[in-house]
Amino acid sequence: MAPVSEELRKSLEARLPALLGGPVQIAKLSLLAGGASMEAWAVELRAPSGPLSLVLRRAAGGRIYQDALSLEHEHALVAEAHRSGVKAPRPYGFLPDLSGHDAFLMDRLHGETVGRRIVRLPELAKARAALPVQMAEELARIHALDPARLPFLPGTGAASPARRAIDGLVAQLDSVGEPHPAIELGIAWLRENLRDTGPAVVVHGDFRIGNLMVAPDGLAGVLDWEFARIGDVLEDVAWPLVKAWRFGVDHLRLGGISDERAMIARYAEITGRKIEPADLHAYELLGNVRWAVGSLQQAQRHLRGDEKSVELAILGRLACEVEHEILHMLEEPASPASPVAERRSAQHRETR
Amino acid sequence: MPDRPDALELLEAVRGFLETEVAKGATDPRLRFRALVAANALSIAGRELVLDETSPSAEARILRELLREAPSGAPPAEEALALSWELCRRIRAGTSPSETAGAVRRIVEGKLAAASPRYLQKKR
Repeated sequence: MAPVSEELRKSLEARLPALLGGPVQIAKLSLLAGGASMEAWAVELRAPSGPLSLVLRRAAGGRIYQDALSLEHEHALVAEAHRSGVKAPRPYGFLPDLSGHDAFLMDRLHGETVGRRIVRLPELAKARAALPVQMAEELARIHALDPARLPFLPGTGAASPARRAIDGLVAQLDSVGEPHPAIELGIAWLRENLRDTGPAVVVHGDFRIGNLMVAPDGLAGVLDWEFARIGDVLEDVAWPLVKAWRFGVDHLRLGGISDERAMIARYAEITGRKIEPADLHAYELLGNVRWAVGSLQQAQRHLRGDEKSVELAILGRLACEVEHEILHMLEEPASPASPVAERRSAQHRETR
Repeated sequence: MPDRPDALELLEAVRGFLETEVAKGATDPRLRFRALVAANALSIAGRELVLDETSPSAEARILRELLREAPSGAPPAEEALALSWELCRRIRAGTSPSETAGAVRRIVEGKLAAASPRYLQKKR
């Protein structure tokens, strides 16, 4: 075993008895994924209650993402979501300074997370049929979380989540320091057309195929909570429609698995929130602008040396695919079903 | 004049190595995926070498015509960068010309020609 994991094993063995209520034997400790900012370890252990299969999520020392929650806050959020019946992994405790870095433990869920496999594998056909309704139900549960119990979430107290979202993206684009007229056109359109659609809620912030654990019968868990914030429900509802998250199956607008109608209908049925096509369009465009800026920022992590990686580097060159999608969405006529869209585009014409 | 293989041929040789030997032979799916990403990066670099003769000057010309600017005399890549910043400034100020969307689309299609030509060919 490598010295790093040997040291980590010793630290875990010292800390876990207090967390799990008695002596703990670690049977297996192996790295699942590692980047410069975050690591995930698989931990198999025997606790007083019996054998446990866990994931240790641990900071890796590199600079973390600007808008990400701290591991302590992410753990608190996952705990609150799990307590409230969201399919989040069961958390087993926050471990500050676990041999030098903060960490937390949670249940290891089983299934598939890789988007390009979820949209294609024949054995996941049943899951793909079940996911649209399950995703709506999970989003409704997340959006019903009590923000008062999560006062650390970014966006708490913001007057307008829509304006906050746009201003945040402009600041991030400025930090990249490159001219991108297509993204500017998207932002200019959003300033005219993106509205707050209702009271601000707890949003997951990265709810899409790729961040969901998918088992043969469907959704097994919601992962990757670090970009949660207080925002508009449409931020979460439209994000899994963004073309980049269809993994090449572009005609199935919901994550490459289905059209979006079943998800939208089920979400409206549970929450009583009717979703206007024009708002869905505007928030899908916001999602594309968010991912275009996100791609450029990921490439900057490589270029600035925060995290050297060919996967991050290439995103700087693939951002133009997202720019093309932004331009395409700007050309699409506003949905005729929506009086809001007609009124807004009429206003837009008058002010030009 | 460098001896052969030239830069393009070297990129192609390494791309082939990554695709056929590293990716195909990898048992770790993460390594296989990264090898394919790396091979794609080299494909982009190769297309950029071929297109580099023409694409910055094409972008500069589109922007000059849109913004009604005279040629600055700077190298095309520098000129395109400066004009692109000027266009961004005008879009934010709400004073960009009415033909902006069409011009920006042509520029983005030019970027896709190097970065992702298949993206342009795919039907919606």
